[in-house]
Amino acid sequence: MKALIVDDERLARKELIKLLEEHPSIEIAGEAMNADEAEKMIEELNPDLLFLDIQMPGRTGFQLLESLDSAPLVVFTTAYDEFALKAFEVNALDYLLKPITAERLAEAVHKIQDKEKTKSGRPRDKKLDLEDQVFVKDGERCWFVSLANIRLFESDGNYIKVYFDTNRPMIHKSLNALDEKLDERAFFRASRKHIINLSWVEGIEPWFNGGLMVKLRGGDKVEVSRRQAAKFKDMMSL
Amino acid sequence: MVNKTRLYWTLQIGGWATYAAFQIVTYVLSGSGIRTQRLLSFVIEAILCLLITHYYRNYINQRKWLSMGLPKLIRYVLAAVLLMGITTYFLRIPFSIALGTFNPANAFDPEKMVTGIISYTVFFFLWSVLHFMYNYFERYNKSLQLEASIKEIELSNLKSQLNPHFIFNALNSIRALVDENPTKAKHAINQLSSILRNSLVTEKRGLTSFEDELKLVRDYLGLESIRFEERLKTDFDLDPESKDFMVPPLMIQTLVENGIKHGISKLTEGGLVQIKTKVEGDHLKIHIRNSGKFVVNGHKKESGGGLGLENTRQRLKLIYGDEASFRILTEKDNFVLTEIIIPHLY
Repeated sequence: MKALIVDDERLARKELIKLLEEHPSIEIAGEAMNADEAEKMIEELNPDLLFLDIQMPGRTGFQLLESLDSAPLVVFTTAYDEFALKAFEVNALDYLLKPITAERLAEAVHKIQDKEKTKSGRPRDKKLDLEDQVFVKDGERCWFVSLANIRLFESDGNYIKVYFDTNRPMIHKSLNALDEKLDERAFFRASRKHIINLSWVEGIEPWFNGGLMVKLRGGDKVEVSRRQAAKFKDMMSL
Repeated sequence: MVNKTRLYWTLQIGGWATYAAFQIVTYVLSGSGIRTQRLLSFVIEAILCLLITHYYRNYINQRKWLSMGLPKLIRYVLAAVLLMGITTYFLRIPFSIALGTFNPANAFDPEKMVTGIISYTVFFFLWSVLHFMYNYFERYNKSLQLEASIKEIELSNLKSQLNPHFIFNALNSIRALVDENPTKAKHAINQLSSILRNSLVTEKRGLTSFEDELKLVRDYLGLESIRFEERLKTDFDLDPESKDFMVPPLMIQTLVENGIKHGISKLTEGGLVQIKTKVEGDHLKIHIRNSGKFVVNGHKKESGGGLGLENTRQRLKLIYGDEASFRILTEKDNFVLTEIIIPHLY
């Protein structure tokens, strides 16, 4: 699988590459020394995996992830950092503390391979489906969320509120842009304000003006506008 | 507490015993013959005074007279001692009757009554003065001790420590250097061990020599140069007289590290750290310049940025009072200047 190493320190990149020589399954597609460079390379190389440093000049590793439509598998690399470690507690594929040991890296690679098996390689330009994950951050907490767990996107000014579990963090994106990226077989644009995950739909009721009221598992209710209602009925009847 | 109670009783019994003894001696020397009843009455008088002042003390403690303002306290004490004087005077009468020394003409003679009461009052007043002086002094002592221990605790809390983040990053760079440039790697290990040793030694000390601190800063910058490579440039411009000064350990290092963390490490192209000292009269002026911008209370809560500076400020204040100064500001050309001025301490 293709990996991209993102770290501002040459020696840190060099050391990681050296350590990765032991793991031929991981092919190093490139090295980036800051977030801007990384963003370009992610677009060009479409890597499956990032080794990502958090503290970098310019944007941090977190900010880089937030700007991506869908997050590849990510292994964070960092020196001791209370702030970062707290964020990791929420969930991350893995993180490596510098100086990285060979054993710890082997464990991480193992985890990556397990994860990779469940996820078939995603061709470029394919729309985001339930198997993809996105990175969201809310203050000091951050998550990699599988799209399958997100029941609802709600637009709120320049932000989108992402509903999963009991969390509703915001991402800085427009709902229209997101709608274009999402696989229409899995997600449905219910109205100007909402995109719902079809696999979370629990019940449908007729509503005013020929619209519909959709009940999602977990209790959230979303109105489907009249314009979208016919399309929605079509989809659900399939 | 036990000591205090014992001291009280020693003084109380000793004091009033002396009082009785003094009365007896004066009486004997006056040559009016020795009558047992007379001697006994002096002892009884002393015991009465002891009991009255003891209850007086309990009352004072119960009502917390010690925390009263002085003008109010003086009024209360004057009233109390007068009341006690009168009480003692009249309490003696039944005992005199019992001893057969009672002489109504004498006891109720207004002039004698006034002198008697006043003399008791004066003794009780002196007792009060001693009591309050002792307690005020003790309280002052305690608050001084408290202040000293608070200061010590504050100082040790504010003491700079090496940032673990830095240590791990350095170790990571050194690991890579082992393959690339073993000589440089060995040198780096020496620098790191020297920093660790220095910081362990000086953490316990209140002040360290400027030279030791500078060596530590040089080692520190040496290690950061390995990590940042051509992105970190350093420059020193030192007044030779600086070496006569003592500085708080790790203070300059902390500020240089701040400059790297918030300045250089945020800049893709890197930048310069410059350390400049100048001795002006009795003061050492230390200027630390780094590329970057100083953001006051940056919008993000970054680990200890603002706190570090506040610590430095408080630490200087605790050690030097108003003799030292500290400021940080953005200069033109995108440089942040950190300035410390510290006095010569000997």
